[in-house]
Amino acid sequence: MRFATDTGGTFTDLVIEDDQGNLHMYKSPTTPNDPVAGVLNALQVAADDMGLSLDALMSKGDTFIHGTTHALNAIIEGQTAKTAFITTKGHKDILLMREGGRLEPFNHAQQYPAPYIPRSLSYAVSERIHADGNIQESLKESDVLEAIEAIKSNKVEAVSVCLLWSVVNPTHELEIAKLLEQHLPGIPYSLSHQLNPVMREYRRASATSIDASLKPLMSSYLGGLTERLRNANYKGRILVLTSQGGMLDAELLAQTPIQVLNSGPAMAPVAGGYYGSVDDIEGKNRDIIVADTGGTTYDVSLVRNGVIPLTREMWIGKPYLGHITGFPSVDITSVGAGGGSIAWVDAGGILHVGPQSQGAKPGPACYNLGGDKATVTDAAVALGYIDPDFFLGGKMQLDGEASKRVIQQNVANKLGISLLQASAAIIKLATENMAQAIIDITVNQGVDPTQSVLIGGGGAAGLNSIFIARRLDCPELIVPEVGATMSAAGATIADLSADYHRALFVRSNDFDFESANILLSELYSQCQAFIDASGQDSFEQSIEFSVEARYENQVWEIDIPLSNILIIGVDELNQIVEEFHRSHERLFSFSDPNSAIEIVNWSAKVRCRLRSEHAGRLVEEQSDNLLMTKRKTYFDGYGSVETPIYRFSAMPIDKIFKGPAIVESPFTSIVVDPVATFTRSLTGNLIIKP
Amino acid sequence: MSSNTKSLAPKVTLDGSQLSILNTRFEGVSKKMSNTLLRTGRSGVLNRARDFSCCVVTHNNELLNAVESLPIHVLSGPDLMAKTMIAYHPTLKKGDAFLHNSPYHGCSHAADHSILMPVIDDKGLHHFTVVAKAHQADIGNSIPTTYFGDAKDVYQEGALIFPATKVLENYHPIEDIVRMCKMRIRVPDQWHGDFMAMIGAARIGEQEILKLAEEFGWDTLHAFEEQWFNYSETLMDAALKQLPEGYFTATSTHDAMEGTLGNEVKIQAEVSIDPSEGTVSVDLSDNPDCLPCGLNVSEACVRTSAMIGIFNSIDHQVPKNAGSFRRIQLTLRENCIVGIPNHPTSCSAATTNVSDRIANAVQIAISEIAEGYGMAEIGSNLPPSRGVFSGIDPRTFGAFINQVFLGSSGGGASPNADGWFHYSHAGNGGMGFIDSVELAELYQPIIVNHREIVRDSEGAGRYRGAPSKRIEFTAIKGAQVDVAFVTDGIDNPPQGAAYGESSQGASQYLVDKQGVISTLGNSEVTNLTSEYTLVSVTCGGGGYGKATSREPKRVLLDVIEGVVSLQKAKDTYAVHISEQLKLDEIATEQLRRSYR
Repeated sequence: MRFATDTGGTFTDLVIEDDQGNLHMYKSPTTPNDPVAGVLNALQVAADDMGLSLDALMSKGDTFIHGTTHALNAIIEGQTAKTAFITTKGHKDILLMREGGRLEPFNHAQQYPAPYIPRSLSYAVSERIHADGNIQESLKESDVLEAIEAIKSNKVEAVSVCLLWSVVNPTHELEIAKLLEQHLPGIPYSLSHQLNPVMREYRRASATSIDASLKPLMSSYLGGLTERLRNANYKGRILVLTSQGGMLDAELLAQTPIQVLNSGPAMAPVAGGYYGSVDDIEGKNRDIIVADTGGTTYDVSLVRNGVIPLTREMWIGKPYLGHITGFPSVDITSVGAGGGSIAWVDAGGILHVGPQSQGAKPGPACYNLGGDKATVTDAAVALGYIDPDFFLGGKMQLDGEASKRVIQQNVANKLGISLLQASAAIIKLATENMAQAIIDITVNQGVDPTQSVLIGGGGAAGLNSIFIARRLDCPELIVPEVGATMSAAGATIADLSADYHRALFVRSNDFDFESANILLSELYSQCQAFIDASGQDSFEQSIEFSVEARYENQVWEIDIPLSNILIIGVDELNQIVEEFHRSHERLFSFSDPNSAIEIVNWSAKVRCRLRSEHAGRLVEEQSDNLLMTKRKTYFDGYGSVETPIYRFSAMPIDKIFKGPAIVESPFTSIVVDPVATFTRSLTGNLIIKP
Repeated sequence: MSSNTKSLAPKVTLDGSQLSILNTRFEGVSKKMSNTLLRTGRSGVLNRARDFSCCVVTHNNELLNAVESLPIHVLSGPDLMAKTMIAYHPTLKKGDAFLHNSPYHGCSHAADHSILMPVIDDKGLHHFTVVAKAHQADIGNSIPTTYFGDAKDVYQEGALIFPATKVLENYHPIEDIVRMCKMRIRVPDQWHGDFMAMIGAARIGEQEILKLAEEFGWDTLHAFEEQWFNYSETLMDAALKQLPEGYFTATSTHDAMEGTLGNEVKIQAEVSIDPSEGTVSVDLSDNPDCLPCGLNVSEACVRTSAMIGIFNSIDHQVPKNAGSFRRIQLTLRENCIVGIPNHPTSCSAATTNVSDRIANAVQIAISEIAEGYGMAEIGSNLPPSRGVFSGIDPRTFGAFINQVFLGSSGGGASPNADGWFHYSHAGNGGMGFIDSVELAELYQPIIVNHREIVRDSEGAGRYRGAPSKRIEFTAIKGAQVDVAFVTDGIDNPPQGAAYGESSQGASQYLVDKQGVISTLGNSEVTNLTSEYTLVSVTCGGGGYGKATSREPKRVLLDVIEGVVSLQKAKDTYAVHISEQLKLDEIATEQLRRSYR
């Protein structure tokens, strides 16, 4: 039996896969002060449901998989360790300088962001290495010792070390590490060339500083989790999800906690990739757009050509104002749009939806918790998309009249249109904001929405995913049966995986085959070592190399997979260059075949498959009652129409239905507009053709 | 044919939700263009510093939005350039695109190559023009820089000038023009890469608008234009109505240079605000005539810079487009250094130096008219740390030329926040990126030995300006690096507003191995070798409000962080902080009372 848990902002999701391969879904409120308690609560809910004691349930488990936002929250709330920064003399301000840029050139109320580690805890030491790796100035040990004294007297809890050009020659960072071990035993530290070997000192320094600052906190969190699971009689393996869309043993992850930052959300494309391709019997192999709709944010990720694209531009907080992790992570674009987003009309008579949100409290007006603003959920209630009496399977009674009242007052009256028109306009604008998020990420990653499948994940996805699919001209929308707990479902099928990176700058017209091949064989050995240690019980292992490359003098790289390449000779190099031209053409609609390419970063991904069979299927209540009821719902361009309400679990397999319809399950309701057709597949997906 | 477009009168009325959706869609077009250009550009000035803009102009040549653009590139310029395109090419065809960099025909300056692509429907009607504008690494000037401060005229400047010249027909580049550029522009392949990237961005913009029309119909898109302009005008009206009525003439002074005949250039802006009408006017006519140098400001930049000063001073949520611009009245005169320069007057550095002085004078004037509005002076531009670097790289024997962005000037304080740390200059708005030391050392044969802030360099105030940065760099052994710069703000550092104080100005010099210092002029091309280190200190930014009214806790934080010294905290901010860095609130209050 495997347990997959994902601690989100509001709910802790739990998916249990029993030994017959059946999935069971549970939710329990997240407990922010002690997130592990929320996990144990969810397990207790499951134990109760199965008529077992918690001990008895836990003793059946062999794999426990955990996704957590603990690290991310700690950064946002400033609860990380007191951390010092050691760098090259003359460059103390790397974390203050950042990379420049901002989005609002006329917003002069915006304060410039403070550095991740203050200047008062930053120490510059004499040393200098050149771009070619030569040492211009040796490390002055007395500078380091002086910094160590200051670090001691400031009661620092972690140390981040990032020297210029350490990616080319790590000697000085390693010397500093020795001194830290010697003089600050027990104080965790991170070295930039080991953690994130990438050129651009700010990104490296930022990643290293974030990582170091999380070490004390995450080792105690993961240690505590392990201890409490053991106390609850769990004897199996404990794995934690990573921002790279894989998972690692908890004790291993505690050594590089930066990898846990986006641990839950990074699973959405793993799940989406699976559910998007499982019904692809015709082998169309389309790209997949994975959307995860929450109460306040809408997250979009991709599966392109079967691969989940990574980015180094993951920001904690807003771009240019938050902190860049600079560390390759699953590319997720997030916008402040969800069920709680507020609809408002400005002084000039223009409708806006968001970015402000009512969140879970006071929430939409229909929650009757004191919310007096019109939200997207209120619009869905007013339009008849949500049944106030069957919200979350009837677990929560909604006040439909409250929804109508706030929309009438705050939107309809101000725009001079009817209540239903106003409600439809709110949904339409929310849809547009979400569509723009999809456009952003698909443009950056070279994916064409008109040739892609859209996956609607998250509890609120069903409300407008059909409109998003129509807006972007996606040929197919899929709402998986486990869509409401996408990340936890993804966790049950995730691979154990680790990534290793190196920086080596080479040009295709003057290629250094020897250095490149030495580097590849070193990366290969690292992967092999991972397989021998963590992956020894796995069913299948794979190692894939990739490079980040660009045309001469470009600075933004494209990921190029080195399919089946283990050693680079002239033929393989040509193959890489050809693939680069093709990728550039796909991404930006032109290529420059006469130009040389530059390869900057090299990566290896090792994967170990921990399961031998397909993903499990959801166990659901049996019901013959397909047509639950009919009610009036409103669709833009059609007006109010009589709409059948179907029960998801009672839908026959492969039968084609026609919209309008609403498909309801205890976790979500899925709106199908009048022109769409839909069907339930053998694998439990709801497949909608716009 | 474009002559038919005048008949495209709006017939559709859109409600507030439809307007909102179409605005999001049009902003999406500019964003998609920008994204493509950033990721595909080849020169550092484009892809490392983001010195480019993409926007959409209506068939009446009015700016529709300026989202994610550099302020100085777009507020005015795309409108004037589109007008030239239509005047010179009355018959526009699908697949045409035009190269424009003529400051006499609406471009900012010769370095900003712009691609204009008209969006034409299947009937041949012209509906919109998309513009991709990017500062080039080189444009073939007579010396290796894109800012030639001392150029006597456009002939000495030396760049090829394109007044809306057709470079694309049927979506294919006109190779005659490309070949001409390749013969004149340094490191031609780099230029060609940027040219292709700009065409790529323009095509994406064109395709996106054609798709929009397919979905909504041209009538709806044109109805949107008009209604969106009206909406923007309404918000501008409301923003201006918050200000008191008033009139003030403020000045901002550019340093003397060889090209200015050894005289300082004092720019004066007569600003008046009429809240009852909801208008603001700026008269720039009482300023010196054009000078025989590259500092004259093009008409596009004069208009834009005056508008930057205005928009820096009011509610930032007012959309920047032809609608809100209706409430701005500008008075310019011909042959004025901040007016309408005539050919062959050089406008080589028109986007920065004197141009920034216009914005600064306008926002200072507004701070005088309306307490709690306006903004302090923003640090000046073009120090050696942002110079154009060129030469032969001894590591590869390849030629290189690029503007390098090692460290920028600081922002002036506003009534609501401290100055933005990297502002670059008034026209940039802090949008630009800075170079990482490692990439700068990889792409140029240089070594950056130092890049940190300068303590006590900020313009003190209730909100303080950003501090100066000190950048030290040298060439690697065997390299000769030409560094071209036109530094302003050495003699006239950024002023404060509303009793805020001035910041430290710029300075620059060479130091040899023995530590002997030799000064540098403010507008030069210096040949740097490994024997010397070039020290470039950038301007900070001016402060806003009295320094003695700054929250003591903010002063304490600045002291802890090493931005402000204990001494300055006491002398300037009247804040008493102990050697152990503890704030003494009682002593502070006593000190502040004694200062009043």
